[in-house]
Amino acid sequence: MSQIKNQLAQLNGSAGPLFISYYTAQGEPFPNNVDKLCGPNMTDFPPFHPNGTEKTKLVELYRIVAYLSASLGNVTRDQRILNPNALSLHSKLNATVDIMRGLLSNVLCRLCNKYHVGHVDVTYGPDTSSKDVFQKKKLGCQLLGTYKQVISVVAQAF
Amino acid sequence: MSTLRIWLTQALFIFLITESIGQLLEPCGYIYPEFPVVQRGSNFTAICVLKEECLQQYYANASFIVWKTNHVAVPKEQVTVINRTTSSVTFTDMVLQTVQLTCNVLSFGQIEQNVYGTTVLSGFPPDIPTNLSCIVNEGKNMLCHWDPGRETYLETNYTLKSEWPTEKFPDCHSKHGTSCMVSFSPIYFVNIEVWVEAENALGKVSSEAINFDPVDKVKHIPPYNLSVSNSEELSSILKLTWNNSGSLRLKSDIQYRTRDASTWIQVPLEDTASSRTSFTIQDLKPFTEYVFRIRTIKEDGKGYWSDWSEEASGVTYEDRPSKPPSFWFKINPSYTQESRSARLIWKELPLSEANGKILDYEVILTQWKSFSQNYTTNGTELIVNLTNNHYIASLTARNMVGKSDAAVLAIPSSHFKASHPVVDLKAFPKDNKLWVEWTAPRKTVKKYIIEWCVLSDNSPCVPDWQQEGGSVTRAYLRGSLLESKCYLITVTPVFTSGPGSSESVKAYLKQAAPSRGPTVRTKKVGKNEAVLEWDQLPVDDQNGFIRNYSISYRTIVGNEIVVNVDSSHTEYTLSPLSSDTLYMVRMAAYTDEGGKDGPEFTFTTPKFAQGEIEAIVVPVCLAFLLTTLLGVLFCFNKRDLIKKHIWPNVPDPSKSHIAQWSPHTPPRHNFNSKDQMYSDGNFTDVSVVEIEANNKKPCPDDLKSLDLFKKEKISTEGHSSGIGGSSCMSSSRPSISSNEENESAQNTASTVQYSTVVHSGYRHQVPSVQVFSRSESTQPLLDSEERPEDLQLADAVDSRDEILPRQQYFKQNCRQPEASPDIPHFERSNQVSSGSEEDFVRLKQQVSDPISKPCGSEQHRLFQEGPATGALGAGTDGQVEQFESVGMGTVLDEEIPKSYLPQTVRQGGYMPQ
Repeated sequence: MSQIKNQLAQLNGSAGPLFISYYTAQGEPFPNNVDKLCGPNMTDFPPFHPNGTEKTKLVELYRIVAYLSASLGNVTRDQRILNPNALSLHSKLNATVDIMRGLLSNVLCRLCNKYHVGHVDVTYGPDTSSKDVFQKKKLGCQLLGTYKQVISVVAQAF
Repeated sequence: MSTLRIWLTQALFIFLITESIGQLLEPCGYIYPEFPVVQRGSNFTAICVLKEECLQQYYANASFIVWKTNHVAVPKEQVTVINRTTSSVTFTDMVLQTVQLTCNVLSFGQIEQNVYGTTVLSGFPPDIPTNLSCIVNEGKNMLCHWDPGRETYLETNYTLKSEWPTEKFPDCHSKHGTSCMVSFSPIYFVNIEVWVEAENALGKVSSEAINFDPVDKVKHIPPYNLSVSNSEELSSILKLTWNNSGSLRLKSDIQYRTRDASTWIQVPLEDTASSRTSFTIQDLKPFTEYVFRIRTIKEDGKGYWSDWSEEASGVTYEDRPSKPPSFWFKINPSYTQESRSARLIWKELPLSEANGKILDYEVILTQWKSFSQNYTTNGTELIVNLTNNHYIASLTARNMVGKSDAAVLAIPSSHFKASHPVVDLKAFPKDNKLWVEWTAPRKTVKKYIIEWCVLSDNSPCVPDWQQEGGSVTRAYLRGSLLESKCYLITVTPVFTSGPGSSESVKAYLKQAAPSRGPTVRTKKVGKNEAVLEWDQLPVDDQNGFIRNYSISYRTIVGNEIVVNVDSSHTEYTLSPLSSDTLYMVRMAAYTDEGGKDGPEFTFTTPKFAQGEIEAIVVPVCLAFLLTTLLGVLFCFNKRDLIKKHIWPNVPDPSKSHIAQWSPHTPPRHNFNSKDQMYSDGNFTDVSVVEIEANNKKPCPDDLKSLDLFKKEKISTEGHSSGIGGSSCMSSSRPSISSNEENESAQNTASTVQYSTVVHSGYRHQVPSVQVFSRSESTQPLLDSEERPEDLQLADAVDSRDEILPRQQYFKQNCRQPEASPDIPHFERSNQVSSGSEEDFVRLKQQVSDPISKPCGSEQHRLFQEGPATGALGAGTDGQVEQFESVGMGTVLDEEIPKSYLPQTVRQGGYMPQ
């Protein structure tokens, strides 16, 4: 469980720099319109209830991390194309995705070992491959904004 | 078209060739297993199966198979014929790593042909890898190490496998077999399981899996941006700040040291156990530069310490000097009696005691019961003029923060006499330092002053000094000392009343062999010994304390002899040596660290010792002289006997009988001079020569001897034999003859009264009648009588002069026909007898000219030697006396006109005329 907490702390500590790095790398109008373009107004983001039981929180955490991991995978793929020179952003995205992979493993083991939960249904975000560039950037920015907001809540919940 | 045809032809040819070769390369059998790998030490069996067609073609079967390993036939004991086409071979305890195994067959029972071959490899299966460990270098992928175990001698693959419970990671294939770096980034806070699989032809094994969180295997990047800052409020602290990498909580390890130190001081780890990026170091020295470094590890201590950060330095703030400077003085000795010049010197405070940058020094001179004088200077010396009274000098150093305590020094009056020196002063090198040790005097010492300088002949002694506390009895010289230099070290105790007596000692930091050897030379060389001397080596060349000298000497062919000489000597006597021998000498000087030879020197011993020649020659000479003297004495004593042999007795004519003497008898010799002298024909006297009866019988030999003797007398003395003045010079010789000659003549006359034919004229008294006395002796007295031809010749020269033959008779070999030189002889005699020395000299000059020419060399020598024998050397008195005697003799002759005999001149002899 301490590993999950440390991972959440890692994610919580890196979410802010990742968000800044992202909208900075996208260029205008994102840096000057962060609130408008990157507001956490994603409707399909998995819910999280900090006051739930540990098992519930672990299940909800698993869904959130699975959602984020998949979405950040898409964002990483898009940024390699849209901003191939934003290496710092790429590095941060990769590190976040890796941490989430580890967090998923830990949460799954915790659910499996302690709560005997072997399977959790998860949801994924929309596919952005068909979106235009601006929409890709905007969806990515909204995702990171939401991630930053949610992860702080989740980290505090554990 | 033609090209295509050629191409097709070539292709067909190649096809046919290839087909035929393929048939030829088809083996007649095979070995199984085809690629065998055998474990070391195990048994191995291979079989060779022949084809049927080959059996028929070569008329062979399995019994004709020959096995070979590395071209060596396998013993038949190891071979088994299984059936008609198959043969097997078995090897036990395979030890070779690779063996070439071939199956051969004897075709037609004789020709060995290779059927098939293979390589047998031997080795070990892999051991289970152990000691698997992994490290995650921050910023890099995970790297794992393990111990593969023993060597397999076979190609072995090692694979590092890792997985999560929910996911597997790509395998890591090792190139070296002992480590592998995974290809994926480490993910912290997720346990990962890692193990190693090893596989070769003989087996496959896996190590035990290790499960760990990669975050516990991290070696972090060293802290960066380390900086140091001081505090003006506290001169003993410095504050460090730095940055850590990553987001993990890390604890730190801080070390520091002064700039010139080599060892690090550790900050307690418990003080830095919590995660931090700054730290304040306390209890530091003021105004001191410190160097810091730092490293980190995960806060819980898991993982690896990072490498040390780059060093950063900082200087603590200043504080007032902690100690007063070392203080000393020197009095200039050459100064007036009323005042003196003192040179106050002090040492700069070391940084650890100055606690800052020294701005200036303040010196206060207080005369006994009098006012004070203040001086401020930036240097480290001050020259002041003092009276002969006692002074107290105090010195303080000042920096930006404050002053040091005062160093107080008593300068005694000029009449003060120092005492109480240190005792047992010693100096010795130890640990590459020159130490000084002493015993304190009984009086309480305030401090010690140690001075030292390099002793050199080329440069003056420039002293350096240092101060030690009063309780110290041992210290090392803190200056930059050189090896092989002689240091003169002086220790002076300083009391409250002033300095005590000084003691000095010489020492070397490290000795070495002398730069050159002494130059030896000989001081004295004797026949069997030589005294060598040399100069002491200059101190610049000694390089150490000269302990002894060695003198090596040898001859060209002899062995070398080495003599050791104490270093206090400067000369040495080599003995015994061989005389008249060349010696080569070399001298070496030795210190504790070795010696050095000087130039080789050679000398030769003399053949004789000093005085040895004199010791031989002097006695020989003395013996010779003694012998000569004895001989002379003998001759003198036996002179009669000798005389008998040398001067035989001549019959005395005076004792002969004159048978007849007729004045009318014509003279046989024309004596021209007398003819002139007695031109008036007066002949006053006739000499009668008598021959003593007891005289020995004269013999012709005697006459001849006499003749020779006369010649000698003429040639040596310039006189005639004295026989009646018969010589051509006889009439003038008496005036210059010596006494000895006279005596000799007298002696001769005493025995040789042979004959005399003289005139009796004297002093211009011309005899009226020429009277001749003739000896009656029948003995042939003169050569002229035996050789009448001489007389005839003389007569032919001057027939007028009747006296000439007579003169020629006595003249013997003198062939001077003229008697004119006789005239001056008589004149000279007369002049000398009555005149002075000047007259004599003039006379001699007059005489020498006419005689020298006609009389030949002998006569000429007469007048040359005459003055040397007596005329000039003996003085004129004797000559005058002689002349007077002659004159008296002539007077006697006048009184006795019978003859003009020498016997009448003096007792027992005669005076030649």
